[in-house]
Amino acid sequence: MLERASLVVARGQFVSLVGPSGSGKSSLLRAAIGLQQPLAGTVDPEVAPSDIGILFQDDALLPWRTARDNVALGLTFRNVPRKSALEQADHWLDRVGLAGFEHRYPRHLSGGQRKRVALAQVLALTPKLLLMDEPFASLDAIVRARVVQDVASLVEEQQISALLVTHDLEEAIGLSDRIYLLSQGPRARITHEYAVPLPRPRDPVRARMHPAFAPLYDQLWNDLSEAVGARPTAAAEAAE
Amino acid sequence: MNPRYAWLRQLIAFGILLLVWEAAGYAGMLNPLFMPSPSAIGSALYELFSDGRIWPHLEATFTAALAGLALGIFIGIVLGVVGALVPLFAELIEPVMTILNAIPRVILAPLFVIWLGIGLASKVALAFILVAVLIFFTVFTGIRQVDRRLVERIVTLGGGRWALVRHVYLPSVTAWILGNMKVAVGFAFTGAVVGEFVAATSGLGYLLSFAQSTYNSALMLALVLLIMVVVLLIFAIAGRLEKYLLRWN
Repeated sequence: MLERASLVVARGQFVSLVGPSGSGKSSLLRAAIGLQQPLAGTVDPEVAPSDIGILFQDDALLPWRTARDNVALGLTFRNVPRKSALEQADHWLDRVGLAGFEHRYPRHLSGGQRKRVALAQVLALTPKLLLMDEPFASLDAIVRARVVQDVASLVEEQQISALLVTHDLEEAIGLSDRIYLLSQGPRARITHEYAVPLPRPRDPVRARMHPAFAPLYDQLWNDLSEAVGARPTAAAEAAE
Repeated sequence: MNPRYAWLRQLIAFGILLLVWEAAGYAGMLNPLFMPSPSAIGSALYELFSDGRIWPHLEATFTAALAGLALGIFIGIVLGVVGALVPLFAELIEPVMTILNAIPRVILAPLFVIWLGIGLASKVALAFILVAVLIFFTVFTGIRQVDRRLVERIVTLGGGRWALVRHVYLPSVTAWILGNMKVAVGFAFTGAVVGEFVAATSGLGYLLSFAQSTYNSALMLALVLLIMVVVLLIFAIAGRLEKYLLRWN
């Protein structure tokens, strides 16, 4: 459970929230989009709820709808005419690299492809703020690297502010402009805040080649170990 | 052993069984009163159709089973949906349904005859009660176990109540019902035939009870065969429908 959190995502910024399991990272995101009420206090995003998109760990596509119908779904909720919604869906599927897969059902797509459909589903609504709750955790290494790269470039191109919850420090550094660290729950709170000194545009997967990467990673690692309150080896397990 | 030709081997085995059966009957090893030969069963079946007297009976059974099925699915869905959405109603209906589910519901047949007479209504009622309880639990537990992640996905995409019903609940319920369709069809025919068996003036169940009272085992087995074919035929149709509606799976 998160006791107190005050964090700011500036316009166009990519912010990550890192912390041990049970520190309330997911709850924070869910509160921000109204799926969950904070026990006390308020969430006050300066953007309208309809301008916030969220990517979950599970892709949660409707199994009985094709890829394009899934992507068009949010648009039809906004009373976009069906024909136009489907055209936009095809466009976004193309943008996430799924041209030719429009008529597939989720069951007939791979994990990475489903994640891309979910991304297209959210991007089609042209959000100003994108919340991500460990969206890459379920993917295997190579697929994951590619999806991360595509998310980074699309978010940058669309000038979307992003808030990512993750366990993965490397992912956090590679993608973010700013990183917040949460302490161990219960009564978790934000203990550290870092600016990521890597230049943009950048490739999140190759960020670790940059000389500024290792010192920041090291610092994050030590602070996280301290937050977990155990020796670094045990912390590694807790963080995983 | 090529698995593609399993049906052929099954057919051959069945043919051999029939031949042995026929031969045993011919050799006088089986008492035709209890175990008539396949040819006797075949001719009983042929007679039923050749003089046309089977048709009104088939019609009676079909009417009762299909009416009970349709009514049972409809009422089952309504009760299941209302039960899942209105907690007070769930509190009242769930124990009733649990009891109905626990007992062999065909024991209600004599009661229905007293209440509704020996006509069509008592058979429809029996088929109905068999199907409705099954569908109620399918829908009731189904809606309660609907995938929360899908619900949250629709909500975060901006969908309202109606969108949830249309895109999550309705397709889920359809899938669960179709998954139980074969059982429901079997239940509906069980209800119709057992109802007719208890008291009726027509129907396959009535013919069965007639065959029993006249010790006509050839007719009895012919009727069993006929009911089997009818139900398998409906299974095939239900299977087609299921395949089409669940093509995403």
